[in-house]
Amino acid sequence: MALDVNAIREDFPILSRVLPNGHPLVYFDNAATSQKPKCVINAMTKYYEQYNSNAHRANHTLADEATQALESARHKISTYFGTSSENMIYTSGATEAINLVSYGWARYNLKKGDVVVITEMEHHADIVPWQELSKEKGVEVRYVPINTESFTLDMEAFDVALEGAKLVCVVHTSNVLGIRNPVEEIIRKSHAVGSRVLLDCAQGAPHERISFDEMGADFVAISAHKMAGPTGIGCLLVKSDAMEKMGPFMTGGSMIRKVTIDGSTFQEGHAMFETGTPRIAEAIGWGAAVDWLSNFDMNDVHSHVHNLAYIASEEMSKIEGIRIFGDPSRSDSSGAVSFLHDSIQSQDLAILLDEGGFAVRTGHHCAQPLMDALGVPSTNRASFWIYNTEDEVKSFVKHLRYVCDRFS
Amino acid sequence: MANRLWPEHLDPIIEEFQDCFDSMERYELLFEYSAKHPSPLPPEEWSDTNQIHGCQSRAHVECSRDDNGKFLMRAGADAQIVQGLMSVTAMAVNGMAPEEVSSMSPDYADAMGIRNSLTPSRANGFLNMFERVRSEAERMV
Repeated sequence: MALDVNAIREDFPILSRVLPNGHPLVYFDNAATSQKPKCVINAMTKYYEQYNSNAHRANHTLADEATQALESARHKISTYFGTSSENMIYTSGATEAINLVSYGWARYNLKKGDVVVITEMEHHADIVPWQELSKEKGVEVRYVPINTESFTLDMEAFDVALEGAKLVCVVHTSNVLGIRNPVEEIIRKSHAVGSRVLLDCAQGAPHERISFDEMGADFVAISAHKMAGPTGIGCLLVKSDAMEKMGPFMTGGSMIRKVTIDGSTFQEGHAMFETGTPRIAEAIGWGAAVDWLSNFDMNDVHSHVHNLAYIASEEMSKIEGIRIFGDPSRSDSSGAVSFLHDSIQSQDLAILLDEGGFAVRTGHHCAQPLMDALGVPSTNRASFWIYNTEDEVKSFVKHLRYVCDRFS
Repeated sequence: MANRLWPEHLDPIIEEFQDCFDSMERYELLFEYSAKHPSPLPPEEWSDTNQIHGCQSRAHVECSRDDNGKFLMRAGADAQIVQGLMSVTAMAVNGMAPEEVSSMSPDYADAMGIRNSLTPSRANGFLNMFERVRSEAERMV
């Protein structure tokens, strides 16, 4: 069923904003962070105005309400992701979630010579933790290359890299290319050789319904802020048998059971990994975002977003000098369209697009090995989401053509 | 240059930018200035030591004294907006006494109407470039 995009836009006050240069905002930087609907903003405001209190620490009314809201959000979010509360650890976002796997699982379970497989397509957040682990523990890190014609993972190279692997870490959907990796095949093949699988779903979660238990990955990292939730919160979803083999990552605060001068004992399950005061307002906001997203069929969301990316890339390709990185003609591609002009440098282009009111990203997108594989230092990226319209895409292409004609 | 934020010989350039019809015309003019750099630093001389960090684009600056003991700034960038601002900066500081350069303010970019060029979050490198030039001048004093 087609989305009522005009009605959806009504939920986002920021989309009515006029920029200082007089242009209405056209927000195409959704792969960096999405905008937040009023219900998310209101839920967080209500918490601060009416029941701000620390959770899990006191017996007064406000503390009870805050604790109940925090755990109710966990229930909502974990249910949305097709699993139970016991399998969800709140983190600051996908980056911390991946680091939690590295520090809380890999350091307790991997030894010198064990193999971790990652890909050239990864965000730095899913590269550097493994490089650091390699330095510390002598673990071997293998990189699966991409095919620079199709922009897809080289699955033959993946099969070779998989031999002897103990952990496979793959981005579900590339933040640069918009390519969705064959995660089902990757999970199946990895499990067949006895390897655990970590999926970075920061970009995947805003585009399809991630169903953790059904998907079968051992670890899934998610950020709230790319799916209508607030910044500063995300989660690691962990299979029960993997969580049993994890140890503390950080210590102190909520994860403590008892501390004496002789030592300490820790909570069990997800509580062992949630240190300090919880991100209460953020969890409540994310819960509201999940409620809001549940109003839509994610297949409809994907169709809408993919259609915008496809139209944009088709029209942009007609502009002389523009090159697209990725393949929006693939039906499972996301809303990210990376591009470059052959003579207008990417930062210049982004500033000139901003002059027309169009917010796009420029840079290496925290994926420098991918940039190296593509042979470019950076790209521009327009990324679309649920509230963007075909009219916005058309006006963007028109302005891009004008900039290219005038400045190249 | 006493009591002035930038040297007098920049005034006609700033007026040229102020006379532009709109921001796109200003950027077009800046693109033209990027090709007029009086003392460019060619890419073969770009190195880690002369790189300006914190820029989304690549930007490099070398500062020295010229044959008359005056300040000389050589610079290069892959982005033309940064290169244009470097050109204007070189036109301002080349030939000045290092003491004068060290007390200069970057406000001329704002006066030119290059919107937000002074905002660090814009990460376009201008402020980092200017601070490198200013601190190199301070070091020479």
